[in-house]
Amino acid sequence: MTVTTLFTPRSADEAVDLMRRHGSDLVVLAGGTIMMPMINDGALFPRQVMSLRRAGLDGLHTANDHVEIGATANLARVAEVNALPPLAEAARTVGGPALRTMATIGGNLFAHPPHGDLGAPLLALDAEVQLAGGRVLALEDFYAERASGSRAGTELVTALRVPRPQGQSVYLKCGRRQGNTTSVIAVAVQVMIGSDGTCSDARIALGAAASHPMRARRAEEQLRGRLPDGEICAAAAEEAMAECEPFTDAIASDWYRRKMIGVYVRRALEATLSIHVGQ
Amino acid sequence: MDTTTVTFTLNGTTTALAVSPLTTLRTALRENLHLSATKAGCSQGGCGSCTVLVDGEPTLSCLLPLALIEGQEVTTLEGLSTRGGLHPLQEAFYDRFAAQCGYCTPGMIMAAKALLDRNAQPTREEIREALVGNLCRCTGYLPILEAVEDAARRLSQ
Repeated sequence: MTVTTLFTPRSADEAVDLMRRHGSDLVVLAGGTIMMPMINDGALFPRQVMSLRRAGLDGLHTANDHVEIGATANLARVAEVNALPPLAEAARTVGGPALRTMATIGGNLFAHPPHGDLGAPLLALDAEVQLAGGRVLALEDFYAERASGSRAGTELVTALRVPRPQGQSVYLKCGRRQGNTTSVIAVAVQVMIGSDGTCSDARIALGAAASHPMRARRAEEQLRGRLPDGEICAAAAEEAMAECEPFTDAIASDWYRRKMIGVYVRRALEATLSIHVGQ
Repeated sequence: MDTTTVTFTLNGTTTALAVSPLTTLRTALRENLHLSATKAGCSQGGCGSCTVLVDGEPTLSCLLPLALIEGQEVTTLEGLSTRGGLHPLQEAFYDRFAAQCGYCTPGMIMAAKALLDRNAQPTREEIREALVGNLCRCTGYLPILEAVEDAARRLSQ
């Protein structure tokens, strides 16, 4: 073991100060369920490690129109946030109870796909990421910034602000087992239907379908302003299949992931709209 | 290299241990304290065989640096039996043949303990959910589920 120091900052300010001083040499643990396996495996030899366990970032506040979830709130607690059904459902499907008491919502944003199951429901719920220093980013922009190697990857995430959903939302995960399973793919949808029966807004988010969780914007366009029926759900599923950029790994091939994106987007939309096509 | 002295409560006894910074709770238990019930399985958080309770919560001891549990309370399988007798979970696992090779058993029992501590009469489905993170590579799941149900009955009597 090459680690010389394990820092346990008592505040976000202290954590930011350590990150500034040590830069990319510092490995950050929130729950430790991503980095510790790599360290145990010998895939990573950090000299300095910082744990956020005592940094006081685990608050969870439910307000009238949103829920603010501290970066180190664990998935066991996220699974109990009834105000955000698709997020709670996604948290419940990650690992087992012991893993969920350790894994955190903030850490989940840094998980490499196919891990990081909370990304899709957070995108569907239009979550914002709060960074130390006060910068606030739409989650989609956070992922884009990280992918481009710019700032968001090196800043401390302090909390997520998640609007309480209006309309219908659904989370569906396709795994190789029923429980404790890594995603083949996952789909989260949030659909609002106006008084005239047309779709006034739709967000469709895909997990394990690209290098980070993504919105399926062309699929969403199929729904907006239209009276959704089975045909439109199928058309949206086609679009999602076309715009996802899946990968091949030990869990599934890119071909299979794309197929399942089609199946699960259609199922998720039908479930939200309570349409039972051909049944 | 720095060493840190960590003080915590282990199975009811205050314990202090000097370890290198990232020594995991599992390694400390097995190699420093010679408590070998907690098993070293995948070291990835994927198998559940290292499950212990930290402040009553099921925790994967292979992923948790000991230094992070300063002042907290750890319960391992060794802490379940009282005055030399077996805990009802251990009795039920024994009577129901819920161990084949036995490697997953300590993790299964600790995960089940965490469940029964908060839900004294769980349904079969609730037991399955509580044990979903614990793999039994002998695939002896059915007697394990029956043993937890049996233990719940014994504990309520």
